[in-house]
Amino acid sequence: MWKDYSKSYIKNNRASSISIMAAAFVATMFLSLLCSIAYNFWAYDVEQIILEEGDWQGRIVCETLSSDNLLSLICQFANVEKAVVGEELSQKEEIVADVYFKNARTIYRDMPLIATQLGLNEDSIQYNSLLLSRYFIHDPEDEAPPMLLALYVVILIIMSVSLILIIRGSFELSMNARIHQFGIFSSIGATPRQIRTCLLQEAMVLSILPMLIGSMFGILISYGVIKAVNFFAADVSGRHEAVFQYRPSIFAATVFISFLTVIFSAWIPARKLSKMTPLEAIRNTSGLLLKKKKHSRFLSCIFGMKGELAGNALKAQKKHLRISTLSLLLSFLGFSIMICFTTLADISTRYTYFERYQDVWDIMITLKDTEISDFDLTDELQDISKIKDATVYQKAEAMTFLPEGLQSDELSSLGGLEAVAGTPKADGQFQVSAPIVVLDDTSFLDFCLQIGITPNLDGAIVLNQIWDSINSNFRYKEYVPFVMEDNQKTALYKNGKTIEIPVLSYTQTVPTLREEYDNYALVHFIPLTMWNKTFGEVCEAESDSYIRILSNGTANLADLNNLEQEIAQLVSEQYEIESENRVQERLSNDRLIQGMVMIFGFFCVLLAIIGIANVFSNTLGFLCQRKREFAQYMSIGLTPQEMRKMFCIEAFVIAGKPLLITLPLTILFVQFAVTASHLDPMAFWSEAPLLPILIFAAAIVLFVSLAYYIGGKRLLQCDLNEALRNDTFI
Amino acid sequence: MEILRCNGIEKVFGKGDNQVIALNGISLSIEKGDFVAIIGASGSGKSTLLHILGSVDKPTKGIVTIDGVDLSGLNATDAAIFRRRKVGLVYQFYNLIPTLTAEKNILMPMLLDKRKPDLDYFKTIVKTLGIEDKLESLPSQLSGGQQQRVAIARSLIYRPAILFADEPTGNLDQKNSKEIIDLLKLSNRNLKQTILLITHDEKIALEADRIVTIEDGQIVSDQKRR
Repeated sequence: MWKDYSKSYIKNNRASSISIMAAAFVATMFLSLLCSIAYNFWAYDVEQIILEEGDWQGRIVCETLSSDNLLSLICQFANVEKAVVGEELSQKEEIVADVYFKNARTIYRDMPLIATQLGLNEDSIQYNSLLLSRYFIHDPEDEAPPMLLALYVVILIIMSVSLILIIRGSFELSMNARIHQFGIFSSIGATPRQIRTCLLQEAMVLSILPMLIGSMFGILISYGVIKAVNFFAADVSGRHEAVFQYRPSIFAATVFISFLTVIFSAWIPARKLSKMTPLEAIRNTSGLLLKKKKHSRFLSCIFGMKGELAGNALKAQKKHLRISTLSLLLSFLGFSIMICFTTLADISTRYTYFERYQDVWDIMITLKDTEISDFDLTDELQDISKIKDATVYQKAEAMTFLPEGLQSDELSSLGGLEAVAGTPKADGQFQVSAPIVVLDDTSFLDFCLQIGITPNLDGAIVLNQIWDSINSNFRYKEYVPFVMEDNQKTALYKNGKTIEIPVLSYTQTVPTLREEYDNYALVHFIPLTMWNKTFGEVCEAESDSYIRILSNGTANLADLNNLEQEIAQLVSEQYEIESENRVQERLSNDRLIQGMVMIFGFFCVLLAIIGIANVFSNTLGFLCQRKREFAQYMSIGLTPQEMRKMFCIEAFVIAGKPLLITLPLTILFVQFAVTASHLDPMAFWSEAPLLPILIFAAAIVLFVSLAYYIGGKRLLQCDLNEALRNDTFI
Repeated sequence: MEILRCNGIEKVFGKGDNQVIALNGISLSIEKGDFVAIIGASGSGKSTLLHILGSVDKPTKGIVTIDGVDLSGLNATDAAIFRRRKVGLVYQFYNLIPTLTAEKNILMPMLLDKRKPDLDYFKTIVKTLGIEDKLESLPSQLSGGQQQRVAIARSLIYRPAILFADEPTGNLDQKNSKEIIDLLKLSNRNLKQTILLITHDEKIALEADRIVTIEDGQIVSDQKRR
């Protein structure tokens, strides 16, 4: 049948063939994109783990053997590819050997055997389980292994099923248009199998080229996505750049899955068609039939009888239009919510970060692995003319114990220490976090002046405040005093030791630092001199120190870049540093959000394209079937203008439905998000992204209208009288 | 020799209050080489009977045997192969495949069986039907009479045990109608082809050897004319 029938059908019905080819192309492109991106995510994840943890698979810690002996004994195992000594981790008496296997799948069986042979217990072996899990190697005794593979497979199945539903529509349209022909075939003796085979052959022939091109496009798009992610996240500190990777096996898997998807999509309608009796098939008038009486109240109320007719036609096409309705709805809903979300996120970041710290810092330098006491360029920094203000500081963790009697009245009325610090110790004291911020002496003295006390380096200033979470929200926090300000001394505990220091003052004013303090902690600001004198030996600080710099100028990007360069030149000669620049960070943040909008927006546009393509395919595909319907309308006196109006109503409903559903849902989402984030609703509405949403909506309306314009024009150009005459026998 | 037999055929459409009895206990026997006309008013059940006899529909009750084969025992595939080899069907609206040439349309039953057509027989048919110069034309390029000739040629190509024609002249003018009936008579005489013709036109029915009249799904008369 292929040679005799399908070839000529394909040749004579290009529109239907193009619809199938386009569907196969889109389906394969999406699958290819998904496979390629999933593979690249996986590869990036593996790279990240190797960078952070190393590429070792198993690790053996041995105290009894020399490194040479240990390595040679390990290498005697047949499955061991190599073993190397981890120099960084090995100590004089303890050798750490990293073990690599030829077949890592048996690592959880082989490592205990190796340990036993070396006379070591199981505590001596370690697994790079994070890395191994990325190769889907899990500890058999682990009852809940990471379900990464399962996740990939589930996503792939969901995607394939969605695509099957999408492209099935195209095959169904092409096949439905030929039910009568297949009825004739059946009546002259074509078996159901012959009909099915013929349809599947057609599907395959039409889909092979689009499948290959679609796969290529998918790869290209995923390459673009990786490049875009790298571009937009270029300034994210600590991120290593993703490198696009691909393998022939991924291509083979993509084509195979696409093949199955196409075959299955064609098989569903083919099976349905082959199961029809010849009589059913020949009698099929292919018109739009309603299974039961329907009444389009809304449309008939607005547009009268034409509305009723258009509504019924839409209801009869409901199944075929399901995919377009769904994809248009999802794309518009996804786009609207995504763009509203990014606007909200932008406003929130601006309020909580950029605007809050606008006059606090312009440049931040992180001194890697540097104690504040080891930093000796403070004076040089503070002497740079373009710097208005510079603070060098380091943070440390400590604890303090507070008796109930020390809590402030305000805290008592909010529930007392028990509400914020949990149950007290046996002696009735509550353990409270007391973070320490060590400031360079000059900055500390400035801070003393700022809060109105006599500058002094022999004590701590305690930030005596706690968030009143009952009477204020996290966005507009109000604070109340934490403790009674009676104590002139404070005792800090760390590593089992206690240090008692004088309190110079309690305050609710914070020094100008780019720091967010804990809600329920008693922060202690200490001058460097005191830190060196009192804490140095007892309390260890965090590994990095920081320099906060506020510039003199107008803080434009060029000035800040120059200043950053100047500071970096000065500091980086002696210290390993990382620097941030507020304006640059703002630009990077904007670029990141812009990138996110672009990437998600791209997916929404792709989804919208599927929906619109489906509308085109339906409108043009149903042309033959609807000829008869419109011929009947014409025979009862409907004018071409009225028929055009019917098309307009249908287009209005198809394009309008996603818009009408999306708008209230988006408003609800915004309302919820604004309430949850305690933002002023007017702050959002004054910046609401109405223009992009309107452009997206207009594009949907435009393309759906275009599909109906083309379909309607072609239909009305046909000889509808011929359609009435061309009946089948009953 | 009996080529077709049906006993107690019943066909009921719909259920409950919407139930329509289209055929009510039809029994019929046709001998090889007969030219039988079934006549009846619109809605009398004649087309339904033809569909059941041609194995494109199944009876609600009763048995149909053609050339010794009980149609009730055939599944969809066997019924299709049976139609291909043993039955020829001609419809009022020709039912040609629009994308295939006249020649391909005629040969389709053989092509479905992956069999090489008997070229001499093919030539005889197309010459007898007068369409030898139309073989490369698409159905849309042929007149109604020519399309019906192609449909008849297609129904004859496999030398079927019986040819069923359902109002084959219903869509043709008088001249073409006469020619089509003459061709059917010719194939009946020359090729010894058994023919069952369905019509509502008594004049056309008079051309047959035997006239069976149906009313309300029942045979009300069965007259042999020759």
